[in-house]
Amino acid sequence: MALIELRNVTKRYRVGEQEINALAGIDLEIAQGEFAAIIGPSGSGKSTLMHLLGCLDTPSTGTMTIDGMDVSRASSNKLAEMRNQKIGFVFQSFNLLVKLNVLQNVELPLIYAGIPSSVRREKALAAIERVGLTERVNNTPLQLSGGQMQRVAIARALVNSPKIIFADEPTGNLDSNTGATILEMFRELSRQGSTIVLVTHDNGIAAQAARRIEIRDGRIVNDTINPPQPVAA
Amino acid sequence: MNLWLSLLVGFKEIWAHKFRSFLTMLGVILGVASLLSMFSLTAGMAHGVREYITQLGGIELVGVIKQEVPVEQEYKWEISPGRTVADAEAIAKIPHLVSLVSPVVELPINIIAGPNNFRYEAQAVWPDYLPINKHNVAFGRPLSWLDVEEAKHVCVVGRLVVDKLWPDRPDYNAVGETVLINQRPFTVVGIFEFYESDRDKRRRELGIDKASAYSSSGNLRSPSSSSYSRSSSRYSSFTRKNSTVVMPISTAFYEFKSANVVGKEDQGPDYRLDRLIFQVADIDRFKETLDRVADMLRVTHRGIDDFGFDTREEWFERNEEYIRNVRASGGLIAGISLLVGGIGITNIMLASITERIREIGVRRAVGAKGRDIFIQIVVESAVIGVIGGLLGLVASLGVMKILVAISPGDNAPVLEFENVVISFSFAVIIGVVSGIYPAVKAARIEPIEALRYG
Ligand SMILES: Nc1ncnc2c1ncn2[C@@H]1O[C@H](COP(=O)(O)OP(=O)(O)OP(=O)(O)O)[C@@H](O)[C@H]1O
Ligand SMILES: [Mg+2]
Repeated sequence: MALIELRNVTKRYRVGEQEINALAGIDLEIAQGEFAAIIGPSGSGKSTLMHLLGCLDTPSTGTMTIDGMDVSRASSNKLAEMRNQKIGFVFQSFNLLVKLNVLQNVELPLIYAGIPSSVRREKALAAIERVGLTERVNNTPLQLSGGQMQRVAIARALVNSPKIIFADEPTGNLDSNTGATILEMFRELSRQGSTIVLVTHDNGIAAQAARRIEIRDGRIVNDTINPPQPVAA
Repeated sequence: MNLWLSLLVGFKEIWAHKFRSFLTMLGVILGVASLLSMFSLTAGMAHGVREYITQLGGIELVGVIKQEVPVEQEYKWEISPGRTVADAEAIAKIPHLVSLVSPVVELPINIIAGPNNFRYEAQAVWPDYLPINKHNVAFGRPLSWLDVEEAKHVCVVGRLVVDKLWPDRPDYNAVGETVLINQRPFTVVGIFEFYESDRDKRRRELGIDKASAYSSSGNLRSPSSSSYSRSSSRYSSFTRKNSTVVMPISTAFYEFKSANVVGKEDQGPDYRLDRLIFQVADIDRFKETLDRVADMLRVTHRGIDDFGFDTREEWFERNEEYIRNVRASGGLIAGISLLVGGIGITNIMLASITERIREIGVRRAVGAKGRDIFIQIVVESAVIGVIGGLLGLVASLGVMKILVAISPGDNAPVLEFENVVISFSFAVIIGVVSGIYPAVKAARIEPIEALRYG
């Protein structure tokens, strides 16, 4: 059984009289250790799909299992547990808490996991080291560059050793150089065995992932395996 | 997320908005300050009233009073001798229930020592009169039964009487001096201690304002003693007690009551009493005691019900009720203030969650449950309540200082630990309760909604 399985998943939004089918029947499987990129034009439903996968939202119809758990009808507490224990999420806009420093931001998931403070600190420092920000643990997000902020967000996503990492346009707010470094970071994580799903509307980025899933108007229109890529210089 | 962390986050959040938080707390501060001040004031009042009642013999003191005879007895009322020493003797025979009893004849007197001459009212009594009225002798001795049996020309007088008769000799021990009471020589055998309220005593011992404390309680005609109705009645009661002159009742009968001239005719000796007082031994058997005394008196009064009882119970009850009323109305005001404070907290917490909706979204996205968010908001508003409560306690100390400064003559507020706890608890409860609605709202925010916001 795949790590993630979606069967005929839909998501409808009602805006007044109008019904928007953001997702119009998605079937998808993602296996342990995969590195998949979701690509598609603006408004095609990429973020909607990512939010479902990331257990931030639930589908209107259809079923979705993650690591054997049916999350399509799970309670809010169950979803919170999934987000906390099995999922790391990286947002386009970083979503760090500006009142907390780097260390505290990275520790946040561990706090809600109920991990004692000494272990928490150790794990957070290890995650910060993986993204190369050991020097900046006491800085607040506002004292960091965009690329550094996204690295903090990645460290936060990694800290609880999740089964899967989701990233919704992680390079969208970054210049191309910085974006490339961040992308390389995901590739490195993938090589180390993490399962990664990221959203982009940049074909170049999608080409660097092992699998390319294209969606349009809420449907998967293309799902291909990319030829193996050389390690980026 | 554990409670410590929530507290820490709460404190940080409040510290980050110091001024706003302080404004929010004001209602709670005022509420707690007025609640505790009011509690302390009423506690002080209750203390003052109890002190006053104790000075006058406590609630165990009962007076036998004259009363209209019932209609059906009107035709034969004259067979009753009225209240006499025989009544006192009868009451004294009741075992266990009555601990002390004394007949009282009140005599207007003219008392002279050397060149000084004053009018007083003397109490002609039995020795029990002194313990019933909680009198203590500072110099010499109290009245004795021998004085009564032998109708000795002795008297025990209050401190103010001595001070007036020998004005140049402060704290004069006048025991052994002879004074003229209505032209008869009497030997002063005892002097009562100086009676004053705890508050005056404390002030005098601290050396604060000695002269004014002494004179305001020492001078009946002092204008200040009439400016506060409650305190003036207290002062005059202490003053009256300090102006006591007591003598054996037998002496008074022989010297001053053996003739009763009405018009030109001598009606013979007058043995009627002005008062008859006794002390109930066991306050739990108050009613039973009164019934027994009434039975005795019905015998001595030959079946005529021309007497009744004057007890302090009702008066004491009235005072307690008055204090309860003050408490209730003060509590209402403090309650309204706390309620307004609570609404202020709710309001600011609602504003705060709107401001922090993205933070809430982020916390939810990394695994915070609705419950965690709920606790965070409630703890934060509880912290506002706690800090407000503490500041309120401090403020109430200030309020009490001011009240004492404004009217030093009134009962000093009494700060009771239990009232501090109650007032503070109210603040904490208000803090927690006002946080509940915003916390529920915050906990219900869907993570995805929160993240989309802003
Ligand atoms: N909360 C919502 N209420 C109503 N409609 C919504 C809501 N969220 C998304 N939609 C609609 O669903 C569709 C898919 O949106 P989605 O955000 O998933 O697109 P996207 O592929 O991520 O686009 P972009 O590349 O611009 O981020 C859009 O038409 C959008 O307007
Ligand atoms: Mg999007």
